[in-house]
Amino acid sequence: MKTKKKFPVFRIVNGLVFILLALIIIIPMWKILVDSFDLKTAYGMKMWPEKFGLAGYVSVFRNPTLSRPLVISFITTILGTLLALTLSTLGAYVLIQWEMPGRTFFANFLLFTMIFNGGMIPTYLVLSSLKLTNTLLVVILFPALNVYNLVLMRNFFEGIPQSLFESATLDGCSPMQTFIRIVLPMSKAALASIGLMYAVTYWNDYTHYKLYITDSKWYNFQMKLRSVIMGSDLPQSTGGATENTVKNAAIIVVIIPFMILYPFLQKYFVKGVNIGAVKE
Amino acid sequence: MKKASKFVASLLAGSMVMSMAACGNDAGNQNESSTPQSNVESTTPAAGGEESTPASDSTEPEAPANEVAKPDKIKVMIDGTVPTQENYGDDFWKKYTELTGIEVEVIQPDHDAYYDVVGQTFAGRDWPDVIILSSTYYTGYASEGALWDMTDAYASSDLKTRHDAKAGSDTVVDSLRINGSLYGMPATHGNGCVTYVKQAWLDNCGITSVPTNYEEYVAMLDAFTNGDPDGDGVNGNTFAVAAAGFIGNEAPYTNYLAEFYQDAYPSFMQDASGNWIDGFETDAMKAAMGRLADAYAKGYIDPTTLTNGTGDCRNKFYSDEFGVFTYWAGTWANNLKTNLEANELSGELVALPPIAEVGAYVDRITPAWCITSTCENPEGVFKYFIEAMQDGGDVQFLFTYGVEGKHWSRAAETLWADTEKAKTYEEGQFHFLPNAEKPETAYTKAHIDPMLALVDLEAPENSVTETALAAQELFNANCKPAFIVPSTDEMSMYNGDLTTLKNELIAKVTMGEMTIEDAYAKYEADGGAEWSKTIVDSLNAQ
Amino acid sequence: MKKTKTAVPKQKISGAKLRAKIYKYRGFYLMFLPVLIFAIIFSYLPMFGIFLGFTNYNGIKDPTFVGFKNFERMFKMANFWSAFTNTIVISLVKLILTTLFAVIVSLFLNEIVNLHFKKVVQTIIYLPHFMSWVVTASIFSLILAPTNHGLVNTFLVSIGVLEPNGMIYFLGSDKWWRFAYYIINIWKETGWQTVIFMATLAGINTELYEAASIDGAGRWNKMRFITFPALANTILTVFILNLAKVMNLFESAFVLQNDAVLGTANVLETYIYYQTFNSGAIPNYGYTTAIGLFKSLVGCVLVLVCNQWSKKVREGRGIV
Repeated sequence: MKTKKKFPVFRIVNGLVFILLALIIIIPMWKILVDSFDLKTAYGMKMWPEKFGLAGYVSVFRNPTLSRPLVISFITTILGTLLALTLSTLGAYVLIQWEMPGRTFFANFLLFTMIFNGGMIPTYLVLSSLKLTNTLLVVILFPALNVYNLVLMRNFFEGIPQSLFESATLDGCSPMQTFIRIVLPMSKAALASIGLMYAVTYWNDYTHYKLYITDSKWYNFQMKLRSVIMGSDLPQSTGGATENTVKNAAIIVVIIPFMILYPFLQKYFVKGVNIGAVKE
Repeated sequence: MKKASKFVASLLAGSMVMSMAACGNDAGNQNESSTPQSNVESTTPAAGGEESTPASDSTEPEAPANEVAKPDKIKVMIDGTVPTQENYGDDFWKKYTELTGIEVEVIQPDHDAYYDVVGQTFAGRDWPDVIILSSTYYTGYASEGALWDMTDAYASSDLKTRHDAKAGSDTVVDSLRINGSLYGMPATHGNGCVTYVKQAWLDNCGITSVPTNYEEYVAMLDAFTNGDPDGDGVNGNTFAVAAAGFIGNEAPYTNYLAEFYQDAYPSFMQDASGNWIDGFETDAMKAAMGRLADAYAKGYIDPTTLTNGTGDCRNKFYSDEFGVFTYWAGTWANNLKTNLEANELSGELVALPPIAEVGAYVDRITPAWCITSTCENPEGVFKYFIEAMQDGGDVQFLFTYGVEGKHWSRAAETLWADTEKAKTYEEGQFHFLPNAEKPETAYTKAHIDPMLALVDLEAPENSVTETALAAQELFNANCKPAFIVPSTDEMSMYNGDLTTLKNELIAKVTMGEMTIEDAYAKYEADGGAEWSKTIVDSLNAQ
Repeated sequence: MKKTKTAVPKQKISGAKLRAKIYKYRGFYLMFLPVLIFAIIFSYLPMFGIFLGFTNYNGIKDPTFVGFKNFERMFKMANFWSAFTNTIVISLVKLILTTLFAVIVSLFLNEIVNLHFKKVVQTIIYLPHFMSWVVTASIFSLILAPTNHGLVNTFLVSIGVLEPNGMIYFLGSDKWWRFAYYIINIWKETGWQTVIFMATLAGINTELYEAASIDGAGRWNKMRFITFPALANTILTVFILNLAKVMNLFESAFVLQNDAVLGTANVLETYIYYQTFNSGAIPNYGYTTAIGLFKSLVGCVLVLVCNQWSKKVREGRGIV
């Protein structure tokens, strides 16, 4: 950090602005964090819990009905993310073959699915006639093709220098070999960021669970925590004394996996790559 | 390029064939589901329930007209009000099978998406035999012929005798009648809200008797707002009442601020002569809006009522921000108490008998247990499932209290040992067990709330808390059923816009942004009066 | 949509040549097959349902063909067009603001030299994305409350901008609601959107910066001439893709609405929701399909128009 003396002002201001920004972002979440440790139910903002206790977290983690959904969440998130990444990288790779006959058609064929859909009932009828409902397959397969992310991925692939493909072809690489040896290694930032998006989608998914799975033994973690968070507002709720604490603890618990996962992925996109090192 | 298009075209053709196949399936369902429909139509004039076994079912032995065959297996679709799998649902249904000899296949979608899944299921092939429906969907599916008409089966059943034996039960059943016909059976009262007042606040303000009319009620609110009811030495840092919005979004709409609305009702209702009118256009409504605006201006009502959620209200109540809360009767009375005590406040609450101007609290329309029109043996299902649930004996006990050792127990034990609220029970003493999903609380019921049952059942001692029972008894003694409003085309066309407009006017008048005259002028100008008239006409034409 | 740079002269190639070309690309077709299969099964098969938009269908009786009745009914609803305009305005302004903020934050985040600090900041600003809208709404109705609990109002009073009895009910007033809505959206989604922008920035060849430094380019110039252009492509793609969803605005508006602000806050999806909710009838899937179809058409037009424009800007390349 001994670079140009010209800009220390900028750096300090920039740093301060981001500290301020981070504070503004944190304040609303701070309330949830405080409430999750506070055994006293209170309306309003507080700096610190009035009556500190871990009961909320104990209740969430002791809950014997949560371990199975947690496993299911991990399985579906991992398999789903891998599948979705495979589909979007394959599709994106094919869509940058500008000379390929039918490319435009394929592109529009996919784009169309992003804009138009058949509606809830027809989708259900198709899924149930394929015997996918009430299985984990439906929550893994159904959301796997995401055209939005596929197009973003294609956008990243576009940045790979064309010369790399040409030299690979000259070396006798098949499309698949080029894909695996050149495209994927060159796109770590894209894989990390879009992979993260898929992971978040799969982990947070409850729409597909609630519509297509009626057997609660296949519910994921998010689905279960949602019932802890939302359930307290139902008239038939049991309304326990630490309910508010438990609810806020559950909200925090939902976020934890991504606080852990993010730093691992960050290394792929906090620093630029040096393409020259790969090229020629 | 051409070749490519051909290639893709053939793919497309393939997909179309497949989608036609899906269409075919779809059409298949409809054929199947239209069979029972025509059955319903044909049985209605004959006024007999016995005929409704689908004619296509020739393999099924014809049941003799007066003897009902016991079904072997029943498929039921239920929401989260019946024990879920996490809450020992499997044990619950195993016990049911033990008691009745009937196997049950359960479809229990998530609470949030229940009616989406119900819609999907009806559109698909496999209809359940039995389904729980809320009032709106109950009337909707009944009028589409998807539900079996149980009027006659009920009329001659023992269940009716049992309902007749308990005061008020027949009114609940009657509230589900559509033009005299019954397509579903309530298992409980609908329940509703009563007004709770903090005793400590009354004491701090020196109020010795609870209000019995609006004048006294307002005097109490004034003391709670401008005095020092929470005893922190500061006058005027509290408010008296809070609610989630100025008007509820589901019938009976006015229940959370009943004392201000009194006899006013903002939606469609029948007047004394049985004609449909729009309650919003009555003077009673104008007077109610005046009361609300007045109370809001004087600071009696929480200034953020408009944006409150129910959870916000409860939290404000628990942290002593306000003192008068209209909320669910029964179990919630006890929940409010324990939560206040957990916050080191006095949990003593007075459940207010309805003030003179209110007259009676409103009983929500209860969900209905229905039999679908594709059910092969509706009489059997009615007798061995719907009736059994309220048999006043073992099955009702199961539906009320659940399974021994899972939901309740008589064993000697200490619950929540090592905590402040540890409770020790002796051998033979009935007690509910901790909730599997929320281990810090105990169950209070399985499906039927014992305090809301329609059929008497010998209750185990101490199965309900005194607080809850007191509030519930007060409610049960002072309630009237809500209106069930039929749906018309005009209603589905205009009621959305109309309700939005009415709610906006109520909110703006209450918050002092508009006078009552201006509000009704806007109501006319924006077409509200016209929509309302169209709907009223369509209801009266029925 | 012929967007291949060389497409025009190649139009006339002979069948044999085309066959050779397809053969050359056979590996790619094979690679595309899984994508195609997923699209057909999960998107195109259910699309037979679009015909329901021209029928009355409640899931019990057979659908009955009604032509354009469902569309007529939709267009005839009293406040349909106001909900439609609200949707377009709220959705577009929201999209533009959140994208703009995400771009600015990304550009300046990129300038932070201390990696540790950069990571911490990034992690913090992306967290609000994981809060559900219901929870977000309940927190902001507290923060924006016109009482002593409301942080924003108390702050404004303490610095003398507002009188103690003149607090603003941000979420309860027609005038302020949209402003509050945009702020909340920026709070919630900016950090998340930076993920994709930061990933794009990571793809910039570091040699470019080095070369620019040697040429004596300052921070601003590097940002302007290297970083921003590299980002432009992604910004445009994200923006156009999001246009397809402009009409789908529901949850965020729904949870923040209340009776008093529906005039400015009611969007198409929430409007339809209240319409159905208050109708006392079981859903007519024909009608809901018709609404879905209408929304798709609007999204389609927006995407096509912007795609056309982007092609001009980007020398012939659309977003796909």
